[in-house]
Order: sequence, then C-alpha cells, then structure tokens
Amino acid sequence: MQTLPDWLNPEPWLNRTFSASEVRQALGAESPDETTLAALLSPAAADFLEPMAARAQALTRRHFGRTVQLYIPLYLSSWCSGGCAYCGFAADRQTDRHALALAAVEKEIDAIKAMGFEEILLLTGERCAQADLDYLRECVHLAAQKIHNVAIEVFPMAEAEYRSLAETGGTGVTLYQETYHQETYDRMHRWGPKKDFFQRLDAPTRALAGGFRFAGLGALLGLADPRYDMLALYRHVRHLQKTFWRAGLTVSFPRIRHEAGGFIPPHPVDEKMLSQIIFAFRICLPDVPLVLSTREGAAFRDGMAGLGINKMSIASKTTVGGYSDKGSEEGQFDISDDRGLDEFCAMLRGKKLEPVFKNWDGVYRLTA
Amino acid sequence: MFLTVNDENYEHHGDGTVAALLTELGATPEHTALTVNGELVFSKDWKVFKFNGGDTVEVLTFVGGG
Amino acid sequence: MKDEQTSLKLGGHEFKSRLILGTGKFSDIETMVRAIEASGTELVTVALRRFNRDKPSDDLCAPLAKLKNVKLMPNTSGAMNSKEAVRAAQLGRELSGSPFVKVEIHPNPHHLMPDAIETYLAAKELAADGFIVLPYIPADPVLAKKLEDVGCAAVMPLGAAIGSGGGLSTADMIQLIIRDSNIPVIVDAGLRAPSEAARAMEMGCAAVLVNSAIAAAKNPVAMARAFALGVETGYAARQAGLMPKSAVAVATSPLTSFLK
Repeated sequence: MQTLPDWLNPEPWLNRTFSASEVRQALGAESPDETTLAALLSPAAADFLEPMAARAQALTRRHFGRTVQLYIPLYLSSWCSGGCAYCGFAADRQTDRHALALAAVEKEIDAIKAMGFEEILLLTGERCAQADLDYLRECVHLAAQKIHNVAIEVFPMAEAEYRSLAETGGTGVTLYQETYHQETYDRMHRWGPKKDFFQRLDAPTRALAGGFRFAGLGALLGLADPRYDMLALYRHVRHLQKTFWRAGLTVSFPRIRHEAGGFIPPHPVDEKMLSQIIFAFRICLPDVPLVLSTREGAAFRDGMAGLGINKMSIASKTTVGGYSDKGSEEGQFDISDDRGLDEFCAMLRGKKLEPVFKNWDGVYRLTA
Repeated sequence: MFLTVNDENYEHHGDGTVAALLTELGATPEHTALTVNGELVFSKDWKVFKFNGGDTVEVLTFVGGG
Repeated sequence: MKDEQTSLKLGGHEFKSRLILGTGKFSDIETMVRAIEASGTELVTVALRRFNRDKPSDDLCAPLAKLKNVKLMPNTSGAMNSKEAVRAAQLGRELSGSPFVKVEIHPNPHHLMPDAIETYLAAKELAADGFIVLPYIPADPVLAKKLEDVGCAAVMPLGAAIGSGGGLSTADMIQLIIRDSNIPVIVDAGLRAPSEAARAMEMGCAAVLVNSAIAAAKNPVAMARAFALGVETGYAARQAGLMPKSAVAVATSPLTSFLK
C-alpha cells in the first residue's frame, strides 16, 4: 500500500495524550496547528465543550458575522457503479433507480429557484452510463442559467473534465474522501474506480486546477477512528489552502447513520463528539466555512448554527428530484431535519442569525 | 578616443580594450561590471571587446546596501 | 512536521545563521566587516553603484571576498521599475557570481516603500532566468502567494519603513503571510531592537534582514552580536512552542445544553 504523503499523514499527532492544561492552552492558541487540533480532539477536551463552544462562537461571529449560508442538494441520479459498503445507492443494493431527464432537471431547478435558493449542489453516484460526464455537463449548464452558485458532488474526474464543467458554469466541487485511513478505505469500497484512494484524494486538486472556485472537503464520520480522519482532513485542507490560495474551501461533517442497507458504522460518533470536532475545526480553521447538512436532527442543527457552523442545507430531499413533485422512493440516506425553508429561517432569525441565500454572483463566471 | 563614462565625457588614451580603460580609471577588473550603450558586457567577453568612439560606458561596482 | 529543519534553506543553499545583514550606512568598511563577523551571518546584501574614481577605496568586493562562509546577495536598489531591476540583477550576478538577488524597487526616494507591481514583474522574470529571488515587499499576503507562484525562494515583507526603526508594525499581516506560505518568510526593514527580531522569529519567520539597526547603533559590532542572539532566541522559542495566552472565559449561559 502506497504510504500517505507527508503533508497528509496524521500519525505524528495521533499517539499522544493531552492533559487538561494542554487543552486549555490549545483553546487560546494564537496560531493553531496540528497539535492544537489534536489536543482539542483528545478525550481530555471532552470536558471542555462549553469553553470550546464559546471560543467557536466568537470566532464564527468574527469571521462570518451573524449569518448562515444556505444551499440545497439536488439528486440527479441514483444509478451508481460503485460498491460503497455503507451506501444505500451502492450498485448491489436492490432499489429503484432513476435519473432525471433534462426536462425534469429544469423543472426541479425552477422549483428550487422559486424557493429562493441561489446555491445548489448537484449529486450523482459513481460514473455510469445513466449519469456520465455529458449528462452532468448538461445539468450544470441548466442550473447555471438560473442559479448563481452551482456545485457538484459527483464522481472524481480528470482535470480536463473538471475544466469543461467549470467552463459550463460549475463553481464548486464537493468531494469527501470518506476516510483517510487507507486500510478502512480499501475495505469500504468494494470494487470499481473508487477503490483508488489516491485518485480520489487528488480530485479536489484537479478540480481547482481545472478552474473550480470552491472545494468542499470532508470525511464520513463513523468509518474509521474520527481522530485519524479529522487530523488528516485538517491537513488536507491546509495543504489545499497553501497550494490553491485563491480557492474557497469548506469543510463538512457528514456522520454516517443507519442507512438503507443496514450498515452499522464501526466507529460511531455521538453528538458530543461531533460537536467537539466542529468546535475544534472552527478554532483551528477560523476563516473556513463549516457545513452541516440535514443528516443531523433539528435540535442539534439549531444548537450548532452560528456555534462553529455557518453553512447549512435545508428543505433537502435525498431522493432523485422531489422538489417539483413528491417523490416516494428511498433516498441515499434518511433526512433527520425535514423542516421546510420558512420554518428553518424563522428558527435562525429567532437566534438572531441571518439566512444568506446568495453569497456569490454568477456574473463573475467567464462563461456559462 | 572619446567616451562617456558614468555620465562624464572621458578621453581614453589606451587601445580601447576593457583592461586598458579599467587600468586608466584605477578600477579592479574582478570587482567591476560593465555596460556599454546600455548592454551588459560579460567579463568573459572582455578580452575580445573593443570600445568605439562615442560609446556610453557604465562602470559599476558594489557598495554597502541593505 | 513543521519547523523541524534547523538550517535556513534558500534555493537549495543552506544557512546555519538566520540573520541576513545589509552592508549600508556603516561609518567605515572595517566596522562593517567586524559587524558581519560578530553577527555570524552567512548572507549579506550589497548594492550596485557607479565606480567612483576619486574614492576607489569604497569598493566593498575586496573586504567581503576575505570573509569566508559569507555569500553575497546583490540588491536592485536604485531601480525605478522592473526593467531596471532586471538589469541591475544581471549586473549584480556578473559581479558577484552569486545566484541570489534581493529585488527591491522603491520609486519614491522619501519613504522608500516597495512598488508591488514592478517588484512582481521583476521577480517573475528573474526567477525564470534562474536567479534565487528574494523580493522585498509590502506585508501583503496576496502578493506573497503570487510571488511564491512565480518561483521566488522566499518573500521579504517589511516590518516597517526602511530605516524607520518602526519595529514589527505589520505583525498581523506577516502572521497571515507565514500561515499560508510554502516558502521562507523573512522580515526585512523596520526593525530597531533585537527583541523585535526575536519576536519575528517567534511568529514563525525563517530569518530576518537587518541593516540600519546595526549600522546606526552606537556600537554596531556589539549590536550585530545582540541581533544574532535575538534571532537565535526567537528561533529557539518558536521551536520550543510558546505557551498560549490564557484560554477564553466561559459564557454565562450554557451554549451546549442542547447536546444529547
């Protein structure tokens, strides 16, 4: 197995225990680094959730004000060639498969636009005939006509392919490594192109080199030791920050739950641990937007809004389509926060947070 | 031969080689760099280089600087 | 892991000392030479000027050539734009045989603030031409990344105006430059006291460049030694890891009571 590159390897920070006083010191770090993060992720820091939250809130307010950016996902296709052990859309799962026809995509985008969203995340599974690059390019093009910020969460591709999507109007690429732990990665991805750890690892690099402006990173919490994954994720972000210093980076914290297919996560992360992770990331990456999706429940999301988290999805469907009419089939994962947009915005405003729908204007695109 | 050396009119009495001019000026060749009519003349070319009357010559060296 | 290396690396050359000295403004060459020796520096800047027939003794080359282990870094001072700076760099390389160049372009002769645009153009051209380029720049994190992108070996943001003794007035910006830089960050200009050099090193600078603060001190040789100690102290402190300032206060009403 190829070893992790030096810029990514989290091992040097892993096998260290931290005392309460070291956690206190990490909380006040002026220039946070890996050691800071390791201290804040340590078991000792679990007793410091309250001061971590206070620090995270202060930093979030300082960098983002009292705002929360909103976006919405649109699942284009549930066809998938991949074999992710934890995914309800994996190729060997018995489920009804759909891919939206382009006319239906347009209808969905109109419905989303009518809701007020100006940032959309288009999703597919692994590359397959039903949802290939040409299809995706058409969808990005349709979306870019109407929505300012068009991000994709799809299969990794070559730089030239990313470039063609950026030129069509794509602005962001979200691609989670799932896990940075290679052995676990190999076990979880049972076949296909996704088995190639490094091909996926370098995909954000290729996307940014190919002209995308934003890249969203993350690891699927629950697959491997969260401390391993979170330290590697932090290092991945820092590496990209230093290399693609013009790029806007975001970090998400998807937590694997009980999916259709009955997958039980080997390293479950509870709410307290998840909040500790988010606070730690806010403290160590004070100016990077941190994202929380509707995978999480309403109470947790309400609590975390503005407290480290400053970007959220809402009113999401994880079924294919579903915004212009009611879809009924199974989604990729269960939505835990199924509130509507108005209800959610009312909650934010109640917490004196301003929902932001548009954070980037499509006029900056050179082509669309 | 009349030259302009460091912005001053200068009459050169030697054979027009770099060595002759630098000796006249009292400059140490290995501590000197030269431009002629705005072009850098590399020291490796000094043996074959000859000034022409009317050339504008800059004779440069290092001084203290931050 | 970061900060692990103990020698300063610039364009494939290694330096034990993290203090770079400027050679201007000294009362005489002998004091300058003794200050260089006292500082332990291995890299000094020099400027290009017209040969002066009346004062051939001003020539720095001979005394500097005697200093073993000291490399020369010609600067481009006097250049008003990138074209002149490139020319000056080529002359400096011809004269010194050194691949190092400090690109400095400050068209305003009063405040001597660097011209970011011309500096960028010159640095790009010189890096492509094989120079080891160290540009003197405003403390601008975006400019610093653009200079890294075009192949500079380091960036040298100013702490304060040249010769001002204003100290690290740009500390916050320098901190941002360090945070995202893949190349060494060297504070150049503005320092007055060895404690400021120590602070720059504590912040994570790879080296500092000092001239006026030493040359204009009451005792330049002793001050050179003091700066060497300041740089060494600051670097050692950075390696040791400073204790953070005391942690934040706890909010009066709990923020995490929603957690299950």
